[in-house]
Amino acid sequence: FTGAVHGFLLSPIEAFLSDLKRGGSGTGPLRGSAETARETTALLRRITAQARWSSAGDLMEIIRKEGRRMITAQPSETTVGNMIRRVLKIIREEYARSRGKSEETDQQESLHKLLTSGGLSEDNFRQHFAALKANVIEAINELLTELEGTTDNVAMQALEHIHSNEVIMTIGRSRTVEAFLKDAARKRKFHVIVAECAPFCQGHEMATSLSEAGIETTVIADAAIFAVMSRVNKVIIGTQTVLANGGLRAVNGTHTLALAAKHHSTPLIVCAPMFKLSPQFPNEEDTFHKFVSPHEVLPFTEGEILSKVNVHCPVFDYVPPELITLFISNIGGHAPSYIYRLMSELYHPEDHEL
Amino acid sequence: MAGKGGKQNRPGGGLSGRKGAGEQEEEEQPLQAVLVADSFNRRFFPVTKDQPRALLPLGNVAMIDYTLEFLTSTGVQETFVFCCWMASKIKDHLLKSKWCRPTSPNTVHIITSDLYRSLGDVLRDVDAKNLVRSDFVLVYGDVVSNVDISQALQEHRHRRKMEKNVSVMTMIFKESSPGHRSRCEEDDVIVAMDSKSQRILHYQKTQGLRKLQFPMVTDNFRDMTSLTRNCKIHFCYLSELFTDNFDYQTRNDFVRGILVNEEILGNQIHMHITKDGYGVRVSNLLMYDSVSSDLVRRWVYPLTPEANFTDQEGRSCTYSRHNVYRGSGVSLCHGSQMEENVLIGSDTSIGANCHISNSVIGNSCTIGDNVFLNHAYIWNNVHIASNVVISQSVVCDKADVKEGVRLNKQCVLAYNVVIGPHISLPEGTVVSMHHPEEEEDDDDDEFLSDDADVGQCKDKTKQKVFKPAEVGSEGKGYIWKANSLNDTEDEELSHCLWGLVLNPDPESESEDSEPDDSDDPVIPSPEMDDVKVFQMEVLGTLQRGLEENISCDNLVLEINSLKYAYNISLKEVMQILTRVVLEYPFQQQGSQLTAPQYVVVLLPLLKKWSPVFKNYVKRAQDHLDCLSAFEEHFLEQENHWAAMVKVLMNMYELEILEEEMILRWFSKGATTDKSRQLRKNQGLQKFIQWLEEAEESSEED
Repeated sequence: FTGAVHGFLLSPIEAFLSDLKRGGSGTGPLRGSAETARETTALLRRITAQARWSSAGDLMEIIRKEGRRMITAQPSETTVGNMIRRVLKIIREEYARSRGKSEETDQQESLHKLLTSGGLSEDNFRQHFAALKANVIEAINELLTELEGTTDNVAMQALEHIHSNEVIMTIGRSRTVEAFLKDAARKRKFHVIVAECAPFCQGHEMATSLSEAGIETTVIADAAIFAVMSRVNKVIIGTQTVLANGGLRAVNGTHTLALAAKHHSTPLIVCAPMFKLSPQFPNEEDTFHKFVSPHEVLPFTEGEILSKVNVHCPVFDYVPPELITLFISNIGGHAPSYIYRLMSELYHPEDHEL
Repeated sequence: MAGKGGKQNRPGGGLSGRKGAGEQEEEEQPLQAVLVADSFNRRFFPVTKDQPRALLPLGNVAMIDYTLEFLTSTGVQETFVFCCWMASKIKDHLLKSKWCRPTSPNTVHIITSDLYRSLGDVLRDVDAKNLVRSDFVLVYGDVVSNVDISQALQEHRHRRKMEKNVSVMTMIFKESSPGHRSRCEEDDVIVAMDSKSQRILHYQKTQGLRKLQFPMVTDNFRDMTSLTRNCKIHFCYLSELFTDNFDYQTRNDFVRGILVNEEILGNQIHMHITKDGYGVRVSNLLMYDSVSSDLVRRWVYPLTPEANFTDQEGRSCTYSRHNVYRGSGVSLCHGSQMEENVLIGSDTSIGANCHISNSVIGNSCTIGDNVFLNHAYIWNNVHIASNVVISQSVVCDKADVKEGVRLNKQCVLAYNVVIGPHISLPEGTVVSMHHPEEEEDDDDDEFLSDDADVGQCKDKTKQKVFKPAEVGSEGKGYIWKANSLNDTEDEELSHCLWGLVLNPDPESESEDSEPDDSDDPVIPSPEMDDVKVFQMEVLGTLQRGLEENISCDNLVLEINSLKYAYNISLKEVMQILTRVVLEYPFQQQGSQLTAPQYVVVLLPLLKKWSPVFKNYVKRAQDHLDCLSAFEEHFLEQENHWAAMVKVLMNMYELEILEEEMILRWFSKGATTDKSRQLRKNQGLQKFIQWLEEAEESSEED
């Protein structure tokens, strides 16, 4: 019986699912999204290696099915969906190569081609190739190696963007930005202003970490962002997701920061590795938002007031692409208008909807 | 059964990152839990007549699922579920749930018995069957929590490693301030703990108490008073010592039992207070109301309704602004508003122009037009006709509410009840298909989940007639007594579904929150008498001891039991004992004794009773207490000062008192003229000098 996940594979999948569901009790994901991306890919590699399938179509069906469960387990963790799409794309490519077609033909989705139809989907990936499994696993391994190096690759570009004696502003705590700033600090002296990012105040952790690395650091309240902006040369932020239109889904307060930067014509640079690119658009309401326990806003120990008010604690902000100057990913810098192009290189259009 | 062999270890990607250091130990000894899926009380009656409390839906998910999810997320790998009332239903539920799938990281074993009647029974069984191997988590089946207990667990393990078998239990408390919605007054406890070691010194329920009594035990005594809410998660360790101690009905007795016997058995309880997270027990309907609304307001994140953590098919729901959750297949007609904090289960249809706020509606319900719901908890398959108003009420499965019915606050419609049309139920009405009198009949075997029994009930039900005046012309069901809150005769609130209403009585609040200041003058008065009586008793005991030649060990035991009987602190025991012994010669021979005579009588007695003294005089503070009582005695007996040195010398030689302590007492300075005079006594001066010299010479050696 092919096309199924059997016995001993179930338990790691279930463990991953329940981990995702519990993930982020308050301050966003417990792990960094880089780690989530690696874990997802490793799990998909395991499924590819151990599940029973005879053709690429079967495998894609299995991965789609398990992928849907992973996505519903924690819709706000878009990295999981992105990695699933990357793996699906890998399978398509390997299949095409096995059939002797070059990947290039598959890449170009033109109107003409859509109309004349055909291409790969004609045989629905049903052909069996003995070497396919090994090839797919090898390609996934390459993807894993790529993921390992993303943060370093982003950080390497720091010296091109940060110059001596500049004042940089950032918000909250992003591991990518942290590595980016620390990398620049090896050669240059500059000043970092960190907005604390209430109510979770990850900014405090960020500031501690930066000052330990010898960077001159100032922490400000979120309300002071606009006031301080006139002194700032550059805003460098991280993000949770880069959306299909080039906008961001980033930690709360980022929109304020981006607007203030726009007003003062301060460049806004977003450090985002490629695995954060998601084919999602900002209009998908129920997966876009994430509301966590209001404990940080109004402690549960507060007495009577709690029965009289509603307290909400959203985690994410939407930042429209017009406010963003530049994206720095592990493969270089891009303008927001170029994101759609990257998207089509990374994911197959048929996989946008899993 | 749920028992499965060959459960795989958690994969590396699991929780390992979070648990850090504790992981290695855990791999050797998987964390176990005992879940008591029975409350052993009847607070939810008559609702629990048809469904055990653990299966009542809270936000459309059975309560026991929250508890199991909590246990699983804290890393428990093996859970024993003990069921009694309606055990088969709980078992069916669990076997169908995700907990019994082979992939579950938490292996669930279900243990059923009709014979459990208290927590003590369950624990005894746990012990008898040798189920747990090490520390375990003990919870009731109605705990809703997202508290991270790993820190408490580590503290507990550390304590147990440091002092073998001394700490038997760590209780976890969640802090919440007075007047808090989810604070249930009847669950308020007063806890005294040692702020350094977090040891619990005193534990008492405050319900029904106006004045709070504290035995003052140690100096670093700090009271946590009612700031805390008990979310009833315990770590226990079952040792041999512990085995006999299960004759307790409730957890309260259990805790108090351990505390009272602390000095005899050497068991201690510690506590852990958590400020983060959410943890609460659903102990009555008032709590049910507040926990449901907390759940919908996302306080228990990540256990939110849309997370579908139970993994049931088709139970997923979407979340949108103002905390509105909709299951799949919900239909909402034109003009209906879901204002805020609303959860609607799948396949429920709602008519036109309805107004719903702060409510939870179950699966497959139908609701007519112009219905107004506020704080309503509608369970599954309920049919509600048009023009119905429901506020702060619970409507159980398959109930039918006809047109124009109005349910005022705190009404409960139990299973299958039909109400209406056009009737208004007064506040606090409880309607059930079971007749209240029939309930009285089989009151005794309430815990027996006998299917035959239920069958009989149905027969009886048919014989009785529904009263149209109470439940409407088409109504079906019997009114249970209208629940008046001032009904004080109600036995231990056993029928009071909703629990006590939080009364913001300023007087009681102030008393609760600052018992240290306001209560201090109150406490001594009743205690003074106890102290007197205790003194008499100690004297009697010693006398008897002399007459019947009772061994000192037994004397200590007797004094200990007296100590508990009269609620006397250790310090007072010391002082009283010293005083009684020193006054003993006067008691026996009259007060005209001369100093030499006094010494002659006292010295043999001291020698005889020195083991008793040694039992109590251990720490430095004990020595000083003993000495101050000694001083007090001689201050009263001025003409016996000559005897004083001899007595003191004797006590020193018998090793009751240490020289260091005597010196410290002497140098500590006198507070009154008389005691200054006492210190100038020649004999005493000489003795002290001798002691000092002895010390110096020993130091030189």
